[in-house]
Amino acid sequence: MADTVVDLNGVAKRYRLRRGWHVTSLGDEIVRLGSRLLGRSVEARDEFWALRDVTFSLERGEILGLIGMNGAGKSTLLKILSKVTVPTRGSFAARGRLGALIEIGAGFHPELSGRENIFLNGAIMGMTRREVQGKFDRIVGFAEVERFIDTPIKHYSSGMQMRLGFAVAAHTDPDILLIDEILAVGDASFQAKCLNKLAELKEEDKTIILVSHNLSTITEHSKRVLWLDHGTVRMMGEPDTVVDAFLEDLTEEKDGEDELAAGSSRREAGKPIAILDVTLADACERPQTRFDRGDAVLIDLTYSASQAMPGAVFLVSIQDVQGYPLGGVSTDPDSLKITGAVERGVVRLRLDPLILNKGVYTLNVQVMDPVTKRYYEIKRRVARLLVDGQRASSRETSGHVYYPHQWEELR
Amino acid sequence: MLDAIASTWNHWDLIVSFALRDIKARYKQTALGVAWALLQPLSMMVVFTLVFSVFAKVPSDGAPYPIFAYSGLIFWTFFSNTISTGTVSMVANATLIRKIYFPRETLLTSVVLAGCLDLAIACLLFAAMLFYYKIAITAAVLWVIPLVILQVLLALGFTGLTAAAHVNFRDIGHALPLILQLWMFASPVGYPISVIPAWLQPFYMLNPMAAIIDGYRRAVLLGTAPDLYALAVSAVITVGVLALALPIFKHAERTFADVI
Repeated sequence: MADTVVDLNGVAKRYRLRRGWHVTSLGDEIVRLGSRLLGRSVEARDEFWALRDVTFSLERGEILGLIGMNGAGKSTLLKILSKVTVPTRGSFAARGRLGALIEIGAGFHPELSGRENIFLNGAIMGMTRREVQGKFDRIVGFAEVERFIDTPIKHYSSGMQMRLGFAVAAHTDPDILLIDEILAVGDASFQAKCLNKLAELKEEDKTIILVSHNLSTITEHSKRVLWLDHGTVRMMGEPDTVVDAFLEDLTEEKDGEDELAAGSSRREAGKPIAILDVTLADACERPQTRFDRGDAVLIDLTYSASQAMPGAVFLVSIQDVQGYPLGGVSTDPDSLKITGAVERGVVRLRLDPLILNKGVYTLNVQVMDPVTKRYYEIKRRVARLLVDGQRASSRETSGHVYYPHQWEELR
Repeated sequence: MLDAIASTWNHWDLIVSFALRDIKARYKQTALGVAWALLQPLSMMVVFTLVFSVFAKVPSDGAPYPIFAYSGLIFWTFFSNTISTGTVSMVANATLIRKIYFPRETLLTSVVLAGCLDLAIACLLFAAMLFYYKIAITAAVLWVIPLVILQVLLALGFTGLTAAAHVNFRDIGHALPLILQLWMFASPVGYPISVIPAWLQPFYMLNPMAAIIDGYRRAVLLGTAPDLYALAVSAVITVGVLALALPIFKHAERTFADVI
């Protein structure tokens, strides 16, 4: 049954990077026109292709996961899919009503009550007044704002506003649904509701496009995954295959726009202490960035100090790909002391066993004085840690951290 | 054109929602509330009466000058408020436009609709003034309906052009108050058409608002039909503006989210 509901063919999107970021004045435009008449090309320098030649189609009931680094073009693609903007080249066609769980609550007016905003937002999303009327109680119940429904939403907490926005969007009954970071909204019980809603929509054979930084969310829910890289489709296919290739690529990508290339090799003059290098190695001290859960990881911090710093504490923290901190460990100033000027000192952190689940993680390194709380050095994203392999891929766990565990049946 | 009518019909609920939002938000936390809809034309009426009638002795086609001025002012205010709010409506709703798709012209139609409420309130006072000045209304008052429709279409066409331009060139926001002010003085708001020299009249009547405002006065104050020839010219210009504005606006709309 070839029932195509979304069809993109050679879609490309160009943005112009003009002085003053898009807000132009007539004067600018005359200058541009003038230089064009003189045959000078002002375009090439000022333009940026956010998407190039994106081609794919989705059939009814398909669930597509969209992954890629920040700036890969995911948001631009969503904007095209939601018809907020049109492609510069190529064609896009969608059959059926489109709904977007992106930027929910964008249509809210702070002075209006929750009730008025439900009708307003529902109308913006394409529902008729009667339709909203029919779903009103369910929307209010979903958002858990019954008591405040006639209060202007400027008095709502930000969580309440987001819940209300999500509730309206989730009840638009679209044929094609775009979801951006479904789990970024609300507390745990509300997230459970959202996931149930997603499951419900899946059963109703809706076509869903799902964007998330959380790769396990993507593999869990999608039937296919599209990997966007610098505006082009790098890969599309089976969720596990694409996510694995994506992770592989992240570790290979040594430097880039990030600070990941391990920083400067010298300490700047005047700085009392500096981290020069951070390297990862396996249990046999072989340089390595890819580990399985349960492996031993050696993290060597090379530093340079200009004077004795008995109070200095080294701190290594791990965060997920979105920059969400997972936890850190620091040295004990009583057992590790910098007693004099060191040209190249090395501190080793041993994580054994590694208790992270499959994913890409980055390391932050800091040196601080625990008494004055003064930071001598803060280095973000100095190294990347890829966790992959048989144990890490097992389906018995979820989230980032693995808890050593046993289950027992007592009765 | 048919597309535009169909779109207005299909998105009527959205247009009403936007209009309600604007009306409610406009008068929230104000002490005088909707009375503000009266204060603008009313204060202008006082100024016009002093300047044009008392100081400059401008005639008013036999009607008492205050009601003569007020009748021109309420319809002009409706027109100019529609255009000035409509023009900035895209930028005022920038967050919405950047994030959600909906037919952008609904913002313009909703501005007209919200303006209609202010006009209706202003008309209540107008009715009271007619009663006070003992001016009898005849069947000719029905001419007001086609006149309002014509005026709304003209305002929509004009504001479609300025709104699309304003997204790209914020210069419009600065130029518009000036243009609207000049336009008001080029329309028979504070003075009757009869004071325009005969040789200038053919050019003067090229301003589509001239026939419309004059038409209102004839229909309500004098109880006669509008100048049909002038009104036909006005209608042709209005259709021309609309025919130009619709495709331009729909084309510009495609990139609003990128440049706004």
